[in-house]
Amino acid sequence: MIEQLIFYVFALVLLFSATMVITVRNPVHAALFLVLAFFNSAVLWVMAGAEFLGIVLVLVYVGAVMVLFLFVVMMLDLNLSQLREGFMKHFYIGVPFAVVMAVQMLLVVGSGLFAPETLPEARMPIPEDVGNTALLGSVLYTVYVYPFELAAVILLVAIIAAIMLTLRRREGTRHQDPGKQVRVRKADRLRVVNIPSARRQSEQE
Amino acid sequence: MTNEAFETPNLLLALPEIWLLAMACVVLVVDLFSNDRDHGPAFWLTQVTLLGGIIITVSTQWGVDATTFSGTYVADSLGALLKIGILVLAFLGFAYSRDYMRDRGILKGEYYMLGLFAVLGMMVTVSAGNLLSLYLGVELMSLSLYALVAIDRDSSRASEAAMKYFVLGALASGMLLYGMSMLYGVTGTLDLGEITAAAAELDDRRFLFLFGLVFMMVGVAFKFGAVPFHMWVPDVYHGAPTPVTLMIATASKVAAVGLFLRLIGEGLLPLLESWQHMVVLLAVLSLLIGNTVALVQTNIKRMLAYSTFNHVGFILMGFVAGTPEGYAASVFYALTYAFTVAATFGVVLLLARKGFEADHITDLKGLNDRSPLFAFVVLILMISLTGIPGTVGFYAKWMVLKSVVEAGFVWLAVLAVIGAVVGAFYYLRLVRYCYFDKAEGEGPQPTGSGGFQAVLAANGLLVLVAGIFPGTLVAVCLAAFL
Amino acid sequence: MLENYLPILLFIIVGLGVGVVLLAAGFILGPRKPSEEKLSPYECGFEAFEDSRMRFDVRYYLVAILFIIFDLEIAFLFPWAIVLDEIGLFGFASMGVFLAILLIGFLYEWKKGALEWE
Repeated sequence: MIEQLIFYVFALVLLFSATMVITVRNPVHAALFLVLAFFNSAVLWVMAGAEFLGIVLVLVYVGAVMVLFLFVVMMLDLNLSQLREGFMKHFYIGVPFAVVMAVQMLLVVGSGLFAPETLPEARMPIPEDVGNTALLGSVLYTVYVYPFELAAVILLVAIIAAIMLTLRRREGTRHQDPGKQVRVRKADRLRVVNIPSARRQSEQE
Repeated sequence: MTNEAFETPNLLLALPEIWLLAMACVVLVVDLFSNDRDHGPAFWLTQVTLLGGIIITVSTQWGVDATTFSGTYVADSLGALLKIGILVLAFLGFAYSRDYMRDRGILKGEYYMLGLFAVLGMMVTVSAGNLLSLYLGVELMSLSLYALVAIDRDSSRASEAAMKYFVLGALASGMLLYGMSMLYGVTGTLDLGEITAAAAELDDRRFLFLFGLVFMMVGVAFKFGAVPFHMWVPDVYHGAPTPVTLMIATASKVAAVGLFLRLIGEGLLPLLESWQHMVVLLAVLSLLIGNTVALVQTNIKRMLAYSTFNHVGFILMGFVAGTPEGYAASVFYALTYAFTVAATFGVVLLLARKGFEADHITDLKGLNDRSPLFAFVVLILMISLTGIPGTVGFYAKWMVLKSVVEAGFVWLAVLAVIGAVVGAFYYLRLVRYCYFDKAEGEGPQPTGSGGFQAVLAANGLLVLVAGIFPGTLVAVCLAAFL
Repeated sequence: MLENYLPILLFIIVGLGVGVVLLAAGFILGPRKPSEEKLSPYECGFEAFEDSRMRFDVRYYLVAILFIIFDLEIAFLFPWAIVLDEIGLFGFASMGVFLAILLIGFLYEWKKGALEWE
């Protein structure tokens, strides 16, 4: 009972924030609403028993991906009035398509073929005493070791691609190199110049 | 709670992939610490890796039929054959591209690293026994290719191509993944073997299963570049640096054949009558669009992009029958087509020089006067792509048509033959330019190192030899399915 | 299992409550007498020269992407840490390989100078 109440509260907030993501004018606000949406869906996942996924959603999406989103939004300096130009022109073409697609979806979902009872019994029911994270761990590093290592390779490719595409050397920037600073010797920086004394000059005067 | 089903995997069975991964890391580290401006160590190590991969694949996987890593990896003759094809094509691609990349200032170590990782992804795809490894293989391949398309980051055309490729490719991956999740929801397993067994005894849940099948078919068709999921192909072929186009046009097509066969051709064979008509539709549309639009192209890369649809149509036709002979015909077609197209791009790369792309069809005018050898190579390639009897392209088309007719789609075979006749126009036009037209002005000279020219000539002549003695390769393709 | 999350739920409720109450209190109790001068933008006595929102440097993007990659790597470490004593030496070794592959990525970053802020 209480659980259902909590579910509906978070589900409502999720729907609200998801709607706001696509309707607010300011892209930064949209990104922040997306954070809220992610957070609420994480709660729903945890309630559905997908504990690990919920935590990862908060950790990776809320913690990191959304930061990236915000950076990108701020980097692009979006001009919203330009983006919205031509909206009404395409609106009339878009609406019929949207209606057709919505009807199609309703027909498919409403056909009862997606009802829970048509789905097969879970082959690996979740035991009461073990957490979802531990269950994942017990197969991820042994049975699914091959996909697991492939995930590492994909991350490696992401590192290489990101650096290759965005890293640029800039000319004329000044930056510290602590190693060089430490290695420097007195002889490199200090030159003792023997300047002849100025006395003779004053004597001549 | 420890999983009793787990047994320590036999790493030796997956040796080609392990070798490639290890060597890709070696290339990465060696290139990081070498000061060679031409990235010579990376180049040579890459070629050694690919050749070593071929040897390892032949010696450890041909004729084997086993799984390892708890069923996520399949080592069999089909996988071995496709992997050898991929490795050879990648070898050719790297061999042809050095001068081109150097001239444009985009010869970077990353070209070799990402290329090797793309090859690794293709190899993983064609020997996947599980939806997870299949999907990760496709993603590894696609991600590396997206980045490779954008490797010339100061070129706005390449950036645009990469962006289109990335957005549409990500959409296709999403479709593929959604379809897979449906399959998982219905069967409760990720193992392709178990899914095949479940597909054979479907009853009330058939609809959901088909729903997943449709989405997966869309995803696979995207990766193939089959019409109507082809929008990215011309722009990517045109915008990407030619060596990257070569890799997308050749090796990734072979990987797409593997993806189709693992996921649908063999994985969902019990549902043949459900997906047969989808494949027929894709094939017909590809044949129609490919041939008509290719006629009016004046850029060789764009022309090859549109004519790819024609060949994709043929490859898909081989799948229609759902028989081992049909699949063998498709594999034969894909391998020989990719080999031929690799040489065609090789010629484009050969004629290109600093600041000049040589990708306009009139650039081939009078090639016979400048280089009789490579004019002859172009002649071989074009008549093979056309499918004139006596060439390897003819045998490939003939095998595919035979399997289609046996499956009862005579009209499809007739349509394909008409398409091939239309295709003759734009392929033979290039031959006419080479032999019967005079160059406008100087005309691009063949450039490139001796090794490049030797490999390219060998590639072209091998196409000729394969046309005269196709028996061995046909037998190998058939053996992969029996 | 869900009982374990009760403290978090309470924390969310209390956090929301404090936030809403403080904002509402300021809104209700604070004096508000807006005038045109008060609401106009102010920059050291001048009219504002430009928009106060500045474009971010592209370099932040690279840092953020590299952060995501290693964040994901850490996400893989959690289940591993929980089941380490059950998955045996093989599970330990598989994480070793995973980390080794990413270590090469780290080496690449370092050597390329992506970690340096010029």
